[in-house]
Amino acid sequence: MTKNILIDKLPTKTWNFLKVNSAEIQWDSEGAVKTEENICFKSGEKAEPVRLDNSGAEGYTERVVNVTAQKASKGVIFEICRGDKPLLSRVNIDLDDGAEVKLVMLLEPSESGLVRHEVRAECGANSHIHIMTIMIGGGDIYSDDNVTLRGDGARFDADTAYLGRNSQTIDYNIVAAHFGKKTESLITVNGALTDSAKKVFRGTIDFKKGSADSVGSENETVLMLGDDVVNKTVPLILCAEENVEGTHGATIGELDADTMFYFESRGIDRETAEKIMAYAAVERLIHMAEDGEFAAEAEKTMGLKTDTEE
Amino acid sequence: MKEKSQVMDIDRSIYDIKDVENDAYRIKSGLTPEIIEKISKEKNDPIWMQQFRLQSLQIYNEIPTPDWGPSLEGLDMDNIATYVRPNTKMQNNWKNVPQDIKNTFERLGIPQAERKSLAGVGAQYDSELVYHNVRSEVAQEGVVYMDIESAMKGEYADMVRKYFMKLVTPRDHKFAALHGAVWSGGSFVYVPKGVQLSIPLQSYFRLNAKGAGQFEHTLIIVDEGASLHFIEGCSAPKYNVANLHAGCVELYVKKNARLRYSTIENWSKNMYNLNTKRALVEEGGTIEWVSGSFGSHIGCLYPMSILKGDNSKMEFTGVTFAGSGQNLDTGAKVVHVGKNTSSFMNTRSISKSGGISTFRSSVVVEKSAKNAKSSVSCQSLMLDSESRSDTIPAMDIRTKDAAIGHEAKIGSISGDAVFYLMSRGMTEEDARALIVSGFADNVSKELPVEYAVEMNNLIRLEMKGSIG
Repeated sequence: MTKNILIDKLPTKTWNFLKVNSAEIQWDSEGAVKTEENICFKSGEKAEPVRLDNSGAEGYTERVVNVTAQKASKGVIFEICRGDKPLLSRVNIDLDDGAEVKLVMLLEPSESGLVRHEVRAECGANSHIHIMTIMIGGGDIYSDDNVTLRGDGARFDADTAYLGRNSQTIDYNIVAAHFGKKTESLITVNGALTDSAKKVFRGTIDFKKGSADSVGSENETVLMLGDDVVNKTVPLILCAEENVEGTHGATIGELDADTMFYFESRGIDRETAEKIMAYAAVERLIHMAEDGEFAAEAEKTMGLKTDTEE
Repeated sequence: MKEKSQVMDIDRSIYDIKDVENDAYRIKSGLTPEIIEKISKEKNDPIWMQQFRLQSLQIYNEIPTPDWGPSLEGLDMDNIATYVRPNTKMQNNWKNVPQDIKNTFERLGIPQAERKSLAGVGAQYDSELVYHNVRSEVAQEGVVYMDIESAMKGEYADMVRKYFMKLVTPRDHKFAALHGAVWSGGSFVYVPKGVQLSIPLQSYFRLNAKGAGQFEHTLIIVDEGASLHFIEGCSAPKYNVANLHAGCVELYVKKNARLRYSTIENWSKNMYNLNTKRALVEEGGTIEWVSGSFGSHIGCLYPMSILKGDNSKMEFTGVTFAGSGQNLDTGAKVVHVGKNTSSFMNTRSISKSGGISTFRSSVVVEKSAKNAKSSVSCQSLMLDSESRSDTIPAMDIRTKDAAIGHEAKIGSISGDAVFYLMSRGMTEEDARALIVSGFADNVSKELPVEYAVEMNNLIRLEMKGSIG
């Protein structure tokens, strides 16, 4: 039975009229097909890449993956979430001291599909988690990442790219909670909205008491390309520690005059320039993933090739 | 030991002196229809206002307390007297103001400021204005500056009724509804077309009564092509029970008009300051907010600008200083409706000795606001790890033809900067005070010099004893 549930909640509320404190969706948890699996990256070893494919599920699906990254281990996970049915994928990652985990995700529901993705990560001393998320497709996407930098010297990088099309909703919530000393977080979000796509970005850097000498930064760039697009951005910095540095910045708008001049001086018209720039953020992340198999999957269905490349 | 200082010393006690409560009338605490009717009768309201108050009370009872922002649990309306009438009628000559009340305003420097640098002054004591005056040469230009209750009953009755609580309606939020029910005192300003007022008007609000509320209403209309600088100041002595300020400011900036609204808020640290301020800006008009928030136990203050007309502009410059026992939630809201509108927010907040400072903002760009531009910059300084500083900005953009920028920064005082100043002979306390004053100069440089000095003195006082 479906119920209305609130997800992607802001850690601290703001005005209700803005409708950004959470997202409300219909979900059937009772009737969902549930699966769970465990992955372990062994201490001191560099593991082979792990590939998770959440495509083709029937009905509501809830999939949980528990990742244990033992001391000084290294591991990479490539995850693809596709399909035309509602899908929830939750990845729990426990990083022991000195572990390094990279999670690369392609969230790509079809127009009738819906993808919910959640990451819950707990980071030990001097560990490093890097989450790369590509959000494309046609259906609605709800992504919620919570990373706790528990140990001293832990680091969190988030690189996210999206392309919102048609009447798609992209709802993205990310929280970096700094507990340890000398922890670092860097959140970079780039995307484009076309047609009547809607996007909400809630980004929170939360410096807890005791997180001295920590640094957190979040940056978002939104390219608005449709006449009916809606963009909501809520970048929070919460701070209960004196000796920290937190920054955030956001730039929202259409292609600026300098960029257009660059394209026009090379004989590229506005329409083509917008198409190139709309795909640019996603392309950048595909290249950053440094994996041919993942790149092929990402490029397969989104028609990445622009007119100028043909 | 003689203090080193960049600004003249002041005595904090001028804010904290309590006058003996010598009220002519104090309504019983609480909030009931009977109390509202009694206030209405005391004020000899027109019929429409009586009904408006009762409807507002009904709305107040319907609307829940906000589920965001600082906790208001310590505020119990059953313990707040919403109307306290001082023992005098409003005067236009300080000589006729009772000595005790006059002394209070003298200590606060209001009559002196009036003589030196103001075009007119309104002084409210508890629930009523006790002094209101405007320079004759300003009045001769057609500028109206009077208490709003007289305006409501005199030749400006229709104008007041047309605009009163139309911009901030009682349905806006719970404390706007409360204001609609119990409002008392405040000023009405009308600047006629084309009149450029070169020196400011000022209203000063003093709440002396223990366990009371102040609910003044300020209505300003700056007509086409006119300009005005309005200054608002407020203070109260500290009590061990909650006091409440829920005033309302409605500003109408007509075509090509300009209004600067400056506030130095220094309520006592038992005050719940839940004020609402809003401006509606027509084509080519400009609203400028300059805001210094230093006092209050709990403060929720977010002046809102609606840029309705094409080419209208808004600037907000603010500083908030939250010390021990304070939770100050401040910022601004702007809605872009017209084409080619622009907004600029530049704020600084400082947290010290367990104080909580939150910057909260909202930028809404409607689909109609083609070529809108908005820039928000907020910087926060944490002076110790007992304190807290949060930034909670939000942007809702509904047109592609907009350029929106936002940046925020939270950090602490640079040890190198303190060392540099100390190596040149300053004490650590003075060095830190100087750095904080410099950090807040976005506001002080926008204020008339007398007010900038007062603000810097307030910062110095707040910084005293911050070492060790």
